[in-house]
Amino acid sequence: MKGDKHDRSGSKPSEMNDLRLEAARKRLAESRGQEDAIEGVREIVANFIGSEEIVLFKVDRRNATFQVFWSFGVDIEDYDLPRALGEAGLQHVMRGECHLEAPDRNRSNAVAKVKAFIPLRFANQTVAILAILRLLPQKVGFDRSDMDLFKVLSDQAAEPLFGPKAHSNAAPEGSGIRA
Amino acid sequence: MSKKILVVDDSKTALMMEREILERRTTYQCVTASDGQEAVEKAQQERPDLVLMDVVMPRMNGFEACKRMRQQPSTREIPIVLVTTRGEESYMEAGFQSGCNDYITKPVDGAELVALLQSYLGE
Repeated sequence: MKGDKHDRSGSKPSEMNDLRLEAARKRLAESRGQEDAIEGVREIVANFIGSEEIVLFKVDRRNATFQVFWSFGVDIEDYDLPRALGEAGLQHVMRGECHLEAPDRNRSNAVAKVKAFIPLRFANQTVAILAILRLLPQKVGFDRSDMDLFKVLSDQAAEPLFGPKAHSNAAPEGSGIRA
Repeated sequence: MSKKILVVDDSKTALMMEREILERRTTYQCVTASDGQEAVEKAQQERPDLVLMDVVMPRMNGFEACKRMRQQPSTREIPIVLVTTRGEESYMEAGFQSGCNDYITKPVDGAELVALLQSYLGE
């Protein structure tokens, strides 16, 4: 913003956070088909979280692998999900917990850019993993409101993205799935 | 009579959020457009008191829409605030050269946005 920061609105941060969460929930719920749901996820990450580098991995139960389902703003050839997460991180995400990565400025490869892995859950299973990569330059890190948004994505993005049978091809928890 | 803001964004999520903020936290009336071309047209029809506009949009981007509005006598004086993911100095400079009055980056801080609008329009 040009000039000084403005701070006279009287709006509490929690109120604004609630509005953001509500808009994200509404956007996902009102998605019309898979393509629109993908666009909804991209919009939420770009507008509310502050990243334009996103990869969505689908968990393939039959082949016990992760497949890149969709990506935005990144060369997906660079990404190796299990390598980026590590065994412990992978289990963590498969159990349904977000995994946040501290930036390592000494590493220049793509794995070092990874910032957050969000499990997309359906019927108590992780059916996909959303990786949010490099943040926008003006975004210094994740805060409490981002965690709330991760929860919304985790709980409410899978069905609009993959339909009501989203869990049918997902790996059960603790399956030892690997890429 | 409440002030009118034209909110322009091709992202349904951003439009939804900005509209919610304006409707719940201000008394401003909100009209929307989803690209620069539509924004130029709506600005002429609606004569808003301020335009809040994304930069990267299909058909016509925010910089071009801003220039077009500055060329039209009916929209020349309307304050324009550009909103974008790009926060680099050179990008912001391009925004000001296109004729915008202010520039904010995404993710938008709702309280900051309201305060900025109030600084142009009053409470």
